[in-house]
Amino acid sequence: MSEKTIYESLQERGISRRDFLKLATLITAALGLEYAEMPRIVRAMETKTRLPVIWLEFQDCAGCTEALTRSLDPTLTKLLFSDISLDYHETLFAAAGAQAEENKRRVIEEYAGRYVLVVEGSIPRKDQGVYCTIGGQSAEALLKEAAEKAKAIIAVGTCASFGGLPKANPNPTGAVGVDTLVKDKPIINVPGCPPVPEVITNTIAHILLLDKPPKLDPLGRPKAFYGQTVHDRCPRRPFYERGQFAESFDDEGARKGWCLYKLGCKGPTTYSACATIKWNGGVSFPVQSNHPCIGCTQPDFWDEGGVYNALSAPPGAAEARGLATGVAAAGGVALAVGHSLYAKKKKQKAAQAFQAQKQAEASQQAQEE
Amino acid sequence: MSTTQVLEFTRGPLFKFSLLVFTLGMLYRFFRILFLGWKKDYAPPRGSAWVGIVKTYLKSLIIFPFLPPKFPSSRHRPLTYIAGGMFHAGLFVVIFLLAAHIETWREVLGFGWPSLPTPLVDGAAVVAIVGLITLASNRFVNPVTRMLTGVGDWLNLLFVFLPLVTGWAMYHHLFGLDYTKLFIAHMVTVDWLLIWIPFSRLSHFLTYFITKTMHGAKFGRLGVEP
Repeated sequence: MSEKTIYESLQERGISRRDFLKLATLITAALGLEYAEMPRIVRAMETKTRLPVIWLEFQDCAGCTEALTRSLDPTLTKLLFSDISLDYHETLFAAAGAQAEENKRRVIEEYAGRYVLVVEGSIPRKDQGVYCTIGGQSAEALLKEAAEKAKAIIAVGTCASFGGLPKANPNPTGAVGVDTLVKDKPIINVPGCPPVPEVITNTIAHILLLDKPPKLDPLGRPKAFYGQTVHDRCPRRPFYERGQFAESFDDEGARKGWCLYKLGCKGPTTYSACATIKWNGGVSFPVQSNHPCIGCTQPDFWDEGGVYNALSAPPGAAEARGLATGVAAAGGVALAVGHSLYAKKKKQKAAQAFQAQKQAEASQQAQEE
Repeated sequence: MSTTQVLEFTRGPLFKFSLLVFTLGMLYRFFRILFLGWKKDYAPPRGSAWVGIVKTYLKSLIIFPFLPPKFPSSRHRPLTYIAGGMFHAGLFVVIFLLAAHIETWREVLGFGWPSLPTPLVDGAAVVAIVGLITLASNRFVNPVTRMLTGVGDWLNLLFVFLPLVTGWAMYHHLFGLDYTKLFIAHMVTVDWLLIWIPFSRLSHFLTYFITKTMHGAKFGRLGVEP
């Protein structure tokens, strides 16, 4: 654990000043910052030492970690693994058991107020959190312990950000996202199932270099990567505008690369950099490879009424249809019949009253005579 | 509550509730009219009621929306006639022929039909919006129609205007708002419109056809009803 600056360790690896400045420019662009910010990045890299990261996993599938290890932006990955260094990561860690836990506590104490806590997976709260425990401690306790002395918290993946799949209806474990439990620390949500790997590394790098969280949207997501919808940047957008839709996954339209709206694409309501940064080093992303966007960066995307249901199709209407029609028809007829019967009765009563009055008048007349 | 949750609520439970109120309300209105009572026929009719019904619908199909131009209503009030036609025709295209709306129908009814290209529907929406604004301003400017217009009528215009405009804004990403927020606005206004229709004169979307059918039948039958 050296205390060398990033620049020094890069120099040791034989990187020239020129290449270093190039790298700084690249990072500035990758962080979604303006070019004018570049000198700040350079200065930060010249003066900052490594950033300790503790990576906690709770109710997750380790998919976000899998995505991270496939981050193909070499400069940032290098930065993350050699200069930021993960001090505690359950999946990538060689150590196990009590040894690993001890190391984590050591990092928490040694780097108190300086380390970044990355959380992957949601936290169960039902039944005292028995659904996710590590070393006999509940996920909630572990999170609170590590969060207390963290500089910032990054909730990686939709589970850590918003509860994700474990929170899907009926939420059997009472899963919640990080920001439900931790209130007093800056929390950056990096949702996605998994998030674009470069978005994870760039967010960590942003905190390392600029010492502050990036600008966030109302859902706590970095604006630089979650500022636009998939629909806004979709290569199939012209087909949407022209009204050319694929009707099935294997029709003429699908083969021609037409819009996947009717096949359930959630692109218009999903904020993510999928369509711009893309995956596997900019090779492709779901919509490009002929699958509609499932909206995985949005809260509760599992309960949005079906991955293959069009965005304009109201969720669950089909199930409710039969019942609604029956109830409505019966109710409508009953109301109408009831009302007309009531009206008839009223009429009869009025007629009777009129008759009675007439008789009364007649008898009165007879009396007078 | 996040915007996604609000959106899910407005297009899920709230939409279902509105649909139920709408269906229940319109069925009530329909049966209520049906049970008002039918007069007895005292003489053999000289024509067929069915032919009369078919004739009246054919007439309205081949002539610009709903009224032949020779009627006094169109001759004396060409603006109302043309703007009214524009509005109704545009609204029809938007509701029934937009790809996204057909997906809604497919979910609600269980079947769908082919759509028009989106830019054409976009044009129809503009036609409907322009028609509606024209009708409303004409109604306001003309002292006679202004006197005849109650609060409910103004609200009718407003409640139809809002879903149209929010839907159109959603497609074009207008007002600096994102798609999700405009989607919520669209759904809320649509849900409210569905609830509002059975309680207002907007129910003429159904009662118009009842009246038309009855008239057609009567003129076709030529029977005797005291």
